[in-house]
Amino acid sequence: MRALEPWVELPLQAFLDESAARLTLLMTSSGQVVAQHGFARSLDVMTAAALGAGIVASTEELARLMGGSRFEALVHHGSRQSCLLSVFATPRGRWIGLVVFGPETSVGIVQLFFDRMVTELEAMAPRDAAAAPRLAENFEHELDASLKALFGR
Amino acid sequence: MTPETMVLDRVTRVPGVRGALLASAGDGLVVAEQLMDGVDGRAAAALAGALVGRLLRTTGAAGLESPLFVHLRAEEGSLLAAPAPGDLVLVAVLGPDANIGLARLEMLDAAGRLG
Amino acid sequence: MSDEIRALTARLADEPTSLAFLELGEALRRRGQYDAAAKVARGGLSRYPGLADAHDLVARILSDQGDLAGAFDAWADAIRLDPMRSSALKGLAFLYFRAGEVPAALEHLARAAEADPDDVTIPAAIARIEQEVRETSAPPPPQEPAPVPASPADAPAASSPQSQTVSASTAPATPPSSPTVDSPFADFSDGERGLLLADANGLRLGGTLTAPGGGEAGDRVAAELGGVVREAGRASRLLGLGSWHSIAIETPAAFLVLVPPSGDTVLLASREPSMPMARLGLLAERAARVARRWLERGR
Repeated sequence: MRALEPWVELPLQAFLDESAARLTLLMTSSGQVVAQHGFARSLDVMTAAALGAGIVASTEELARLMGGSRFEALVHHGSRQSCLLSVFATPRGRWIGLVVFGPETSVGIVQLFFDRMVTELEAMAPRDAAAAPRLAENFEHELDASLKALFGR
Repeated sequence: MTPETMVLDRVTRVPGVRGALLASAGDGLVVAEQLMDGVDGRAAAALAGALVGRLLRTTGAAGLESPLFVHLRAEEGSLLAAPAPGDLVLVAVLGPDANIGLARLEMLDAAGRLG
Repeated sequence: MSDEIRALTARLADEPTSLAFLELGEALRRRGQYDAAAKVARGGLSRYPGLADAHDLVARILSDQGDLAGAFDAWADAIRLDPMRSSALKGLAFLYFRAGEVPAALEHLARAAEADPDDVTIPAAIARIEQEVRETSAPPPPQEPAPVPASPADAPAASSPQSQTVSASTAPATPPSSPTVDSPFADFSDGERGLLLADANGLRLGGTLTAPGGGEAGDRVAAELGGVVREAGRASRLLGLGSWHSIAIETPAAFLVLVPPSGDTVLLASREPSMPMARLGLLAERAARVARRWLERGR
């Protein structure tokens, strides 16, 4: 498990310990990765983050068209593994969680401990001023630095 | 009143039962619930489902059929589970002075009728 | 209603939070008014859950009512609150003896003697049990009702142990000092059969488990038990039930009981459904105690 911000580590580790999730990605709603677990390659992280953020955006648009409130969570059930996508609020803005899990756990367990993690993240997030907006020319540098941090290099 | 509600109603009438629910065993999600006394139904469904799943593997490893009834006894009460057809499990959370024998009978009867 | 009971009832009515419930419950019990005694005792216990005397009283009443499993739990609670409570130790010894678990009965009586060296009934009971074990050369007939007090708490201090006919449902066919090999359950009358001790890593420490179709299933089952223990601990903790004591599992062909002898081990006891689950629970608790001692010796 790797996280860009130290305060994310404990809640995320607790979630991983309890849920037996195979892959986990926490990212901002714009797809910027905050923490990951289980991914072997940086390309997979970037792809999953982009796709996850896209799915969430599409689903929110669908909810808007249907006239309802936003969906809080989306679960895709597969024959060998399943995927949970959940949007949640943090003091640092809206984040998205992507969790891939297998039959060794259940969606009930994953959701139960995911929600507990969200509560802990809310409690542990530093209450300082939000980070300054990133400039486009620094983005690629920061992405590279983030990926190195997430993969422990 | 749906069959599920009737079943839960009978179980929660047993003295000392703090709440009962019907869960999807594989998913650990609540199907129907009748809870009192601050019992977290979502947690009960997920955790009982996980425990029953583990016990199913244990009895399978012992060459036995699936459990008919499970009673987890703890310091401050008990958790009862009775698997039902359709991958459902009837779950009850009991206080320390509950009539476990009666709860068990009601749950076994109810689980059988849910098929 | 006797004068004593009338007076105690009035006292309790005047001061519902007083400890008069202990005397009143005991007086009602001695008169055979078990339901009334149980009601008084439970009311007092709800006010004083940390009072060993209250648990002891409940246990004596339950024992008289024939609810031996309930009596066992209540005496165990009394011991937990007061490890040197000789009346509870005697009570547990009595239950073990009735279940045919003679070594456990003697162990509890020895502890009771240590706690209360002036109680002459204890060495007398020990001597009586040891004599009966020596005299018994074959399994005794099924348990018969015996002219014995329902609980040792009834026996007056000066009573002769010979006047108490104590019977056991089984007696060991081997002498008490049975050879102990490398097994925690060597002293059990059925040996290791249906008893399995595993560590937190899913490895079998002792005991055997035979699958219904034949074949040893101990290692396979031990491998699953680690996961069961983790799930049980998590469920009981997160649902606000505290730490777990046991898991009873009913299947069509067998009853199983899981208990944790120590923080990092788990014991499984399995029997056919002809053995009542409550009795299997007693057996599992006794096996857990034996396992604990075996583990401590090994360490």
